[in-house]
Amino acid sequence: MSEVAIVGVGCVGFRPITPELSYKELMFEAAVKAYEDAGGINPREDVDVFVTCAEDYLEGFSIFDEFVPDQLGAALRHLLTVSGDGMLGLATAYMLIKTGYFDTVVVEAHSKASDILTYMDIVQFGLDPIFNRPLGGHPYYIAGLEMNRYLHETGTTEEQCAEVVVKNKKNAVLNPHAAYGANITLNQVMCSERLFHPLKKLEISTPADGCIVLVLASEKVAEKLTDKPVWVKGVGWCTETPSLETRDWTRAVYTRLAAEMAYKEAKISNPWRDIDFAEIHDVFAYKELQHMEALKLCDYGTAGKLTEDGLTALDGELPVNPSGGLLGMGYGLEASGLQKVLEVVLQLRGEAGARQVEDAQVGLAHTWRGIPTATGAVAVLSNVK
Amino acid sequence: MSLEKITNLFDARHWIGHMEADYRYTLGIAGERFFKEIKENARIMGAKCPKCGVVFVPPRLYCEKCFMKLEEWVDVGKRGEVYTYTIATIDIDGKKLEKPQIYALIKFEGAHGGLIHKIGETENVYIGMKVEAVFKPPSERKASINDIAYFKPVK
Repeated sequence: MSEVAIVGVGCVGFRPITPELSYKELMFEAAVKAYEDAGGINPREDVDVFVTCAEDYLEGFSIFDEFVPDQLGAALRHLLTVSGDGMLGLATAYMLIKTGYFDTVVVEAHSKASDILTYMDIVQFGLDPIFNRPLGGHPYYIAGLEMNRYLHETGTTEEQCAEVVVKNKKNAVLNPHAAYGANITLNQVMCSERLFHPLKKLEISTPADGCIVLVLASEKVAEKLTDKPVWVKGVGWCTETPSLETRDWTRAVYTRLAAEMAYKEAKISNPWRDIDFAEIHDVFAYKELQHMEALKLCDYGTAGKLTEDGLTALDGELPVNPSGGLLGMGYGLEASGLQKVLEVVLQLRGEAGARQVEDAQVGLAHTWRGIPTATGAVAVLSNVK
Repeated sequence: MSLEKITNLFDARHWIGHMEADYRYTLGIAGERFFKEIKENARIMGAKCPKCGVVFVPPRLYCEKCFMKLEEWVDVGKRGEVYTYTIATIDIDGKKLEKPQIYALIKFEGAHGGLIHKIGETENVYIGMKVEAVFKPPSERKASINDIAYFKPVK
């Protein structure tokens, strides 16, 4: 089977609002950049399949997948939509190329969060309609419940969670794709409003607008299009029960199983040693720590200490979220996974500017579909075939 | 990419849309039984797997571990323990609540799962706290999770 590489990336945003562009124009601009980056391919001829990733409710359409071909150059071509995070689109593209039937596949995901007037009502609508929804309230109380149990079981401290915010927002200052970079202090995070005890306001990512398009290719095409291919070494995904009552509240099992699937394929036996840096879903600060443990980068309950000790800082032993994460870039909804992949690609090409991780060869991208889901996905990428 | 861009915010027009989505969610066999017991008998029931013996709360018709059909019903009692809690200080629109709302996941002895609900009659809540369900008067019950008004500390 052919190896699969990412040969082009295009990104618009991320920004708090994008009133000057429609969602279609966001997609168009990101696509133009990605095709140019992939050696100037023509989507009308050179792309075999297009995969877009979007959730209808977040788009304000009931059949959104019908509205995506034109702005990607995909009208009357072969297109399918994954109703989920962009990394599931990457996994789909990877498998399509692995079949040997397709050589070039485009993946797209975006967020036009600023167009959504009632985002929390959509999140609330994701809860079980009989057992959970009738209780009402802001649905992020579920994150408060999870964080509290995670801290209780692992002994992780509130300060260690707050350190994640300080680190990620600081990294984001160096990232032109980030909407919410800032140099802030631990005290500022700790003193920010306790919205869902123990979860604080500054520990919650703010949504942002943006779009990311990737071009993936088989080995034989990749080497013609670029001299900087980034190889997909393994992908994995997993979903736990939707039942809030019976799921595991501390270990992010969906992420562990997704990671094991990807690691097996990528032949990663010791993640902390084998991976040079990681982009991890951090829509809430504590989730970065919980996910680090589920990704087997460290033992259960030790991610907080590692973070506090600076081992995951940009100049640490294993930088986590050099992009600034979602706390710094902004929460790109279903584009979150591709925000992670974008950073891994830029780092592995040596194009991450002031936030470049030295000698990076293997990077990990991880995503989660947010409250109230228990779906995660993982991709291991490398600049070495 | 286009050569012309909108550079004046007043030129950035929009159109407001609204998605109507009203549903009637069927409770199903397990839900029917669970809410009938709550409404008529003020009892919290779980469903037991014939293979692994796990008692699921809320009950369902199938086991998520064994994929077996669940047919045995077990009363798990109305007392449980706070597995985790949070204190919400804003409502769904982001407005500050006049009185913070405590939410908890309450687990019942011998059961897998539990119920997410509100905690009342106290401001001091902790993980491991013993609580019990406070049911609304029978005339006000509608076969809803809100037939339980809240959980209160066991004195």
